[in-house]
Amino acid sequence: MTYRSFNRWLAGAALALAAGLGLAGSAAADDDMTFALISHAVPGDTFWDIERKGAETAARQLGADLIYAHHPAAGQQATLVQNVINQGVDGIALTLSHPDAMRGVIAKADAAGIPVIGLNSGLNEWQSTKVFAYIGQDPVVAGAAFGDRLNTTDAKHVLCVNHEQGNVSLARRCEGIEDTFDGKVSTLYVNGQNMTSVRSRLLAKLQQDPSIDYVATLGAPYAMTAVRAIRMSGRPVSLTTFDLNSRVISAIERGKIRWAVDQQPFLQGYLAIESLWLKATNGNVIGGGQAVLTGPSFVTAENVDQIAAFAKRGTR
Amino acid sequence: MSDTMTEQDNTARAPGWGQRLAALIKRPEIGSVGGAILVFVLFFVLAEPFRSLASFSTVLYQSAALGIPAVAVALLMIGGEFDLSAGVAVTTSSLAASMFAMQVAGNVWVGVGFALILSLAIGALNGYLLIKTGLHSFLVTLSTFLMLQGLNLAVTKLVTGNVATGDISTLSGFDSARAVFSSYFMIFGMSVSIIVFYWLAFVVIATWILLRTRIGNWIFAVGGQGESARAVGVPLNKVKIGLFMGVGFAAWFMGMHLLFDYVTVQSGEGVGNELLYIAQAVVGGCLLTGGYGSAIGAAIGGFIFGMTTQGIIYAGWDPQWFMFFVGVMLLLATVFNAWIRRQATRG
Amino acid sequence: MSEQAPLIRLSGVSKSFGPIDVLQNINLDVPAGEVACVLGDNGAGKSTLINIIAGLHQHSGGTFEVDGRAVHFDSPRQALDRGISAVYQHLALVPLLPVWRNFFLGSEIMRGRGVFARLDKARMKAITDDALRQMGIVIKDLEQPVGTLSGGQRQCVSIARAIHFGARLLILDEPTAALGVKQSGVVLKYIAKAARESGVGVVFITHNPHHAYMVGDSFAILARGEIEMHARREDLTVDDLIYRMAGGAELESLQHEMGR
Repeated sequence: MTYRSFNRWLAGAALALAAGLGLAGSAAADDDMTFALISHAVPGDTFWDIERKGAETAARQLGADLIYAHHPAAGQQATLVQNVINQGVDGIALTLSHPDAMRGVIAKADAAGIPVIGLNSGLNEWQSTKVFAYIGQDPVVAGAAFGDRLNTTDAKHVLCVNHEQGNVSLARRCEGIEDTFDGKVSTLYVNGQNMTSVRSRLLAKLQQDPSIDYVATLGAPYAMTAVRAIRMSGRPVSLTTFDLNSRVISAIERGKIRWAVDQQPFLQGYLAIESLWLKATNGNVIGGGQAVLTGPSFVTAENVDQIAAFAKRGTR
Repeated sequence: MSDTMTEQDNTARAPGWGQRLAALIKRPEIGSVGGAILVFVLFFVLAEPFRSLASFSTVLYQSAALGIPAVAVALLMIGGEFDLSAGVAVTTSSLAASMFAMQVAGNVWVGVGFALILSLAIGALNGYLLIKTGLHSFLVTLSTFLMLQGLNLAVTKLVTGNVATGDISTLSGFDSARAVFSSYFMIFGMSVSIIVFYWLAFVVIATWILLRTRIGNWIFAVGGQGESARAVGVPLNKVKIGLFMGVGFAAWFMGMHLLFDYVTVQSGEGVGNELLYIAQAVVGGCLLTGGYGSAIGAAIGGFIFGMTTQGIIYAGWDPQWFMFFVGVMLLLATVFNAWIRRQATRG
Repeated sequence: MSEQAPLIRLSGVSKSFGPIDVLQNINLDVPAGEVACVLGDNGAGKSTLINIIAGLHQHSGGTFEVDGRAVHFDSPRQALDRGISAVYQHLALVPLLPVWRNFFLGSEIMRGRGVFARLDKARMKAITDDALRQMGIVIKDLEQPVGTLSGGQRQCVSIARAIHFGARLLILDEPTAALGVKQSGVVLKYIAKAARESGVGVVFITHNPHHAYMVGDSFAILARGEIEMHARREDLTVDDLIYRMAGGAELESLQHEMGR
């Protein structure tokens, strides 16, 4: 390719890109309200996909537009918030997994008259920021409920598999189990972006400590990998998990997983956008100064049938 | 005089045992052998569960999972180039196979074939861009890495409506594909994944190519001094594109294993692995500047990494410190490795 | 000069890169068995001249004949096929590669067929050893990387390689520039030997008139893209060559200007 033809090619690519962006932008250009959902999700996280579907459903029903953006790093997430403030959106739903890093941009949004609602993470911190309400699950409450449930079984030593070391909410789930469970709790950290290592490390831990009789994974995809690791270890270990997806549901149906704790991400995304709309159009404030809890709800062999149909659709 | 001449003739044409041994310890991988022994002995002593055969098979599995792409990456690095897109290219391949099989073909083998073509094309594109732009491969493959990462997420969402692929286990051909890419064998009472054997086979083939074929000679030459190689008629561009396609092939292979072993694939997986592949190749004796290294070394580098990540768990060290320990062990193995290599090549 | 056509003949060859003329009206004959020295300062156009002969560049004007036939090379490979082989100062060998692998790089000898085709190590090592010994160089361990040889040995290895692979015309780009006195001697001896005994033509590029005069049969001084002087050995003393090389009349007038 000569230099000139390469340039021409570049110009063509730039035009095509501009056309694509223009298409996306035109949707936001009409008179509809526009809300933004800004999360700390890592790319490709199935949980956040459901959360997003909830928000999109609410926006569609309200005839509003939704901007969804996410970044796991606090600084980048704050930049995304700043971006949507500059765009002049009508409300922002924001996860508070890095509450201190968000304080500044939340204040800016408040100053610009844009209501902000917290969701999913930041249960202990949201009241100290300028978000008007909070929708989520209390990870400690969920963990505690998990521990209580473990107490009704013969579990003696549960292994909490954390796929994202340094994530506050995930760590609190394990802590919640520790608070209420009468037996022993150990933690194993794995790299959620590398499934072979998730399986190998879990298998190694099961081989290393024969007293482990229950495993609790903190995300649905990791539960499926844990099913395999447990089978390979050849040990009678029971599996439980936080969060749901369609394969976890079918594993519960087949008895491979004892239960899953659902925090209903669809509900979180949906309610957040609905609440923003109510706040913007009618001045309503949800929760009365308290967090609105969407979980924990347990999915077990007894109630799995009702939920399976929804999960197949990708909304549970 | 004539006596010394004939003696020199003999040594040049039929090396004796002493010389063979001397040649052996000058091999690029010699340091990593030392590092591997060090790590093995350390965990053998410290971690009681590490001594069992079942543990060993887990270590082997983890080593192979990282080691298969690392072998191809090692060849590429000997050829003087990097590939930062190798980690996500694995995910691209499994996503492509899964989606194509599900949405278009209805048979997983068609998806497998489609993914192979796609992976080889990505490798060829990397090589083509490298040659056409004249930029460093670090930049070129960083761009493709970012592009693939974005494509993985966006196309998966576009095609499936989700961020993970659906369950392909009900499609026709699944069982035979699983047998090929992720079956397990019982050996000495331990369950060994088939990828361990593929890994060893790839190492043997790569070593054969490197040391015994014309192409191997060319790989060393283009990495060592590309212009010299070109001046004596080595097709430098073809060699480089071929090496990138080799990485594409390894990414495809690993992608197929992931797909058929784990059934669904999350579109965000694979990020970060590219650096582990490069690290293994370097621990195994590849120079970052190209022209020197070995496939066996990369395999041993993978083994060191596998032993380390598993060994720390077997040793029951505080899980909060896991990554720190991995770093320390890698540093230890690498320093020891460099020291041995210096001893071996001295004089 | 014999009646048969010289190995290569350049008549009125010029080369421009866009608006810049790099070479103008170059005439040069190199017969078999002779060493033609091309002298000149940096930027005189020596590299461009080599690149044209070696097939890396194409000349823009004039004719370039090999064995009496006009040629236009598209690649070094074509030049190689005609027996023209360039040995570059820094780029000749791959330092980390063993001696024998360097020697056969790009022309490896294979044994076996199909997927089992493999390098014939023993044969290539033996041939390398013989070729080097013929030129008076003994390297004990042919597995040692070329980078561990001395500078003079490295040059000799690349020259021996070119001759072994049928070079009839060798282009040597500053083969002695980076070498000490003793090492230069080794290489010069070797160049003379190659021309006299193997009958190859040599284009010896250098900026050292002493080295040139030791082995050269003809001398061309290149300055600003033109041949400033062309003479045969019998018409020239080493002092003439040094004087002309240093800029001759120009230098004289400079001396005059500076009043010394």
